[in-house]
Amino acid sequence: MSEGLYLSERESAILGQEFLTWLWFKSEHEGGRFKAGDEWFEVYMEQRVSVEGGSGDGKEVATVAGPHAEMREARMGLSTGKKVNRALLRLAQDGEEWTMQLKAEDFAYNSVRTPKVDTRREQGEDPDGMWLEKLYLLEKCIGFMDLLYRQFLEVRLSSIKWPQELKAFRTWLTAR
Amino acid sequence: MAFFSASVSLSRYRIMDDVNDQLLREAPERLVKHAFQDIDHTADERSFGWVCADDYLDSKWKASPPEKGHFLIFSLRLDTRRVQPAVFKKHVAIAERSYLESIEDPDKRFMPKDRKREIRDQVMLKLRARALPVPAVFEAAWDLRTHTVYLASTNSKVRSLFEDLFTLTFELALEPLTPFFLASRMLGEEALPRLESLEPTDFPG
Repeated sequence: MSEGLYLSERESAILGQEFLTWLWFKSEHEGGRFKAGDEWFEVYMEQRVSVEGGSGDGKEVATVAGPHAEMREARMGLSTGKKVNRALLRLAQDGEEWTMQLKAEDFAYNSVRTPKVDTRREQGEDPDGMWLEKLYLLEKCIGFMDLLYRQFLEVRLSSIKWPQELKAFRTWLTAR
Repeated sequence: MAFFSASVSLSRYRIMDDVNDQLLREAPERLVKHAFQDIDHTADERSFGWVCADDYLDSKWKASPPEKGHFLIFSLRLDTRRVQPAVFKKHVAIAERSYLESIEDPDKRFMPKDRKREIRDQVMLKLRARALPVPAVFEAAWDLRTHTVYLASTNSKVRSLFEDLFTLTFELALEPLTPFFLASRMLGEEALPRLESLEPTDFPG
């Protein structure tokens, strides 16, 4: 791996953690509904979330697993400056569902579940069909996540929009 | 097949270099050139290389070609011989004892450092030859429209092996799509100075 890739680790950790932290707020604030072009899709933070604060020896991580209402500890972590470093996300569109665990620092997609693909092949059916269907579903889910990331970047890198967003975030955080 | 298991773990890369048509035409041959070599009948510790995504025993792509729609799909197969540490420890102890007992004069029964190392190497070789290689298979899909590559693993050792073998095979460098690189890809080079000078946000204020 080149030096440049290592140098970007700090920025990746900042961007990844802030994206997932923003996404938790945004998905609750917007009722889980997001727009992709003309289409709508839904994104929810599921019952498993991990928040991290501090650095080096002072690093603290709190992982919470439980129904939505019991995610108080993780939310309390946010109010002390911790950020989301791992989240279980649920995506939905037109009755189809995906779940995945996204890691903030490198955007590794773990435990990705897509809508079911039938791997039984009928006679005369294209044998590559199941591969293409599965990859279509994986890319669709990643495409939605990219879209959300792009929305985040637009706000995060704007000196006008980001302070406004933080104001809304703080209202959300203290209202619970 | 990892992509079709109930849940799959994915790493995502972007190909950093230009991909020309000739290279794409050569891709199946390049995969064969770096195909997996069986070590069932050797004492090698490990072997890795590409195999057919539809059949991990097929390193000649007889079952199906790697081209599937607008994807190139292939698998990285990694076979490793593992010797359990406790088994190794036991056989080293047996070999050392047998060596010491072979010295007739009890006063001269000691183990020189070099001999100790030699015994350990011999024992490891002997046990490795008796151990069956354990296969592991990781699928990869290269989207030829976007030149995005997906690997069905997030394990750092597997990733590193995959990245190196991919570059060796296709002479193309991979960039992991981490938050920073994904952002720079989305926003273009002009956003780099801003991305590189980011300071963490104090969310609660």
